[in-house]
Amino acid sequence: MSLLEITRVTKKFSGLIAVNEVSMNVESGQIVGVIGPNGAGKTTLFNCIAGAFPPTSGSIVFDGKEIAGKKPYEICRLGVTRTFQVVKPFASKTVLYNTMVGAFAHTKHLHEAERKALEVLEFLELGHKKDVVSKSLTLPERKKLELARALATEPKLLLLDEVMAGLRPTEVTDMLPIIRKINETGVTIVIVEHIMQAIMSLSEKIYVVNFGKKIAEGDPHDVVADVDVIKAYLGDEYVTTQH
Amino acid sequence: MKQLLNQNPKILLISALLLGALFILPLVVTSPALMQIFILIILYAYFTSTWNFVGGFAGVLPLGHSAFIGIGAYTSTVLFQTFGISPWLGMIVGGLLAAMMGVVIGLPTLKLRGAYFALATIAVGEGVRVLVENVKQVGPLMINGPSGISIKLTENSFSAFQFDSKLPYYYIILAMLLIVLLLTYFMMNSKIGYYLAAGGEEPEAAEALGIKVSRYRLIAMAISCFLAGLGGTFYAQLMLYIYPKSILGLDLSFEIAFIALIGGRGTILGPVLGALLLRPVSELTRIYFGSMLPGLHLVIFGLILIVVMRYYPKGLVEPVKILLNKLFINRLGKQGGPDGTDSAEKAD
Repeated sequence: MSLLEITRVTKKFSGLIAVNEVSMNVESGQIVGVIGPNGAGKTTLFNCIAGAFPPTSGSIVFDGKEIAGKKPYEICRLGVTRTFQVVKPFASKTVLYNTMVGAFAHTKHLHEAERKALEVLEFLELGHKKDVVSKSLTLPERKKLELARALATEPKLLLLDEVMAGLRPTEVTDMLPIIRKINETGVTIVIVEHIMQAIMSLSEKIYVVNFGKKIAEGDPHDVVADVDVIKAYLGDEYVTTQH
Repeated sequence: MKQLLNQNPKILLISALLLGALFILPLVVTSPALMQIFILIILYAYFTSTWNFVGGFAGVLPLGHSAFIGIGAYTSTVLFQTFGISPWLGMIVGGLLAAMMGVVIGLPTLKLRGAYFALATIAVGEGVRVLVENVKQVGPLMINGPSGISIKLTENSFSAFQFDSKLPYYYIILAMLLIVLLLTYFMMNSKIGYYLAAGGEEPEAAEALGIKVSRYRLIAMAISCFLAGLGGTFYAQLMLYIYPKSILGLDLSFEIAFIALIGGRGTILGPVLGALLLRPVSELTRIYFGSMLPGLHLVIFGLILIVVMRYYPKGLVEPVKILLNKLFINRLGKQGGPDGTDSAEKAD
C-alpha cells in the first residue's frame, strides 16, 4: 500500500491556478523527487500536503487517512514533518533547544526530549554544535538543524523543501549521504529540489511539474530524456538538437 | 526541583543570601512609608512576572493587563462589601474570573500578530475601565462608577485581609512573588515553555513541528490572568480603596510593560530588576511632581526605554548579570575554588 496518495489536487489563488490536478503516489521507504522550473507550483503542492493551506480540491491520503485540509500540527502528529525552503530556526535558542522542541512531540519529560534530541544531533553530526545559538550557525548548519528538528518528531514521511538550495557544490555533496542515511532508518522522503544532480542521484522516482501541471513521472533517467521536460527546462529549440 | 538545585552552587549561594536579606529587611526598615515603597516594588515585580507568561514567553505584547488586575480587585472587594466573603476566597474567585476573561479575549486576539495583538489588548483594557466607570450598581453589587469603593475597615484580621502594620502585607506579597517566579522557572523548563518560546519566535515552524501555537498561548494567557487577578486583590487590600483610574487604567498596563521591557521580558529576573529600578522613579516623581505633572513617570520610563532598547534590546538583565558575575561570582570563585566545589564543602 502506498504511504502517500495524492489524487487530482488543485490549488487556486484568486484566479491563479498554482497546482492543477496533480496526482502522486509515494511508496513506503522511497525517496521521491519533485522537480520543475521556478514558479511551477512545487512548493505550493508541498504546502497543501503539509497543511500550510488547504487544497482547493482533490484528496491527499496519508497512511490510510485523509489529510487534505488538516492543520499543520495535526498532520505533523500523524507522522508527516516538513522543512522550510527559507530556514526558520528559533533564532535566539540553541541548537539543542531547537531540536528538543521537535522531540517534545512524543514526550512530556524534559530529560527524555533532551536524550532524543542529542541522539538526532549525533546522527546528523551536529552534536558538537548543540550549545551554539542557532542564529550564529552557517547556512549548511542551519539546513541541518531544520533536518534535526524535523527528525526529532520521528516522522514516517519527511517533506524536504529545497534543503540544498543556496548550498555550494561541495556542501551539496556533503548533504546527499545525510539524506540517504535518514532514508535508510526507514523514513520515507519527498524532496523538492532545483539541483538536478542532487535529485537525480537521490530519487527512485521523479515527478516533474510545470505551470502547476504534472508533465512527467517515473525513473530519473527516463524523465530527463522526456521531450516535455526538456522543453520546460531548456526551451523548444533544444528538443531537436538533443538527438 | 532537581534542576533547580543543580545550578551553579555560587548562584545558589547568592540567591539564598538575597532571599535571606529580603526576609529580614522589615527588621531593618521600620518606617511604614518606606515599607510601603518596598511592598509596591515587590507588587509591581509580581504584576510584571504574571505579564511575563504572555508578554515574555508567548511572543506577543499585551498592553491591557490592568483589566485582569482590576477584575481581581473588584471581584474580591465587591464580594467582601456585599456578602462579607473573606477576600482570600474572593481572591481565588477573582483570579478565576480574570482567567476566564483572559481566555475569552485571548481566543480571537492571540491569533493576531505583533502590533495587532497589542492594539486589541489596549482596546479591551480601556473598554473594561470605561465599563466600570459607568456602572453604579449591578443588582445588589455596588460598583460606584468612577468614585470607586472604600473597603469596610475591620480590626487587624487575617480572614478580612486587613492588618494594622505593613509587615504582613510585605511577607504575603513576597511569598506571592516567589511562587510566581518558581512557576515561571518550572514553566520555562517544561514542554509548555519550549512550545511557547517556539511559537513566539517562529509560529509557522512551530506548527510544522506539531505545536498548536494558539492553544499554548491560551494556556499562558489563562495562567497569567489568574495570577494577575490575585495581585489585584492584594492591591485592593493594601490600599483599602480602589477606583477605576488606579487599577484599570492604561497607566498601570503601560507601567507593567515598561518594567518588563526595560528589565528584560522572557527572563525570570527581568521583571524584578525592572520593578526595582523603575518603581522608585514613579514614587519620587509622584511625590515631587505629582500635582504639577501627573504621568511624568511614564515620560521618564519612555526615555529610559529608548536608551535601553538601543543598547540592550533584551533588557537590562543581561548586562547586570555580566556585571554581577564580574563583581561577585569570580571573587567568590577565587576564595572557594574555581568550580565552587570548595564552597559546597564548607557548607557541610
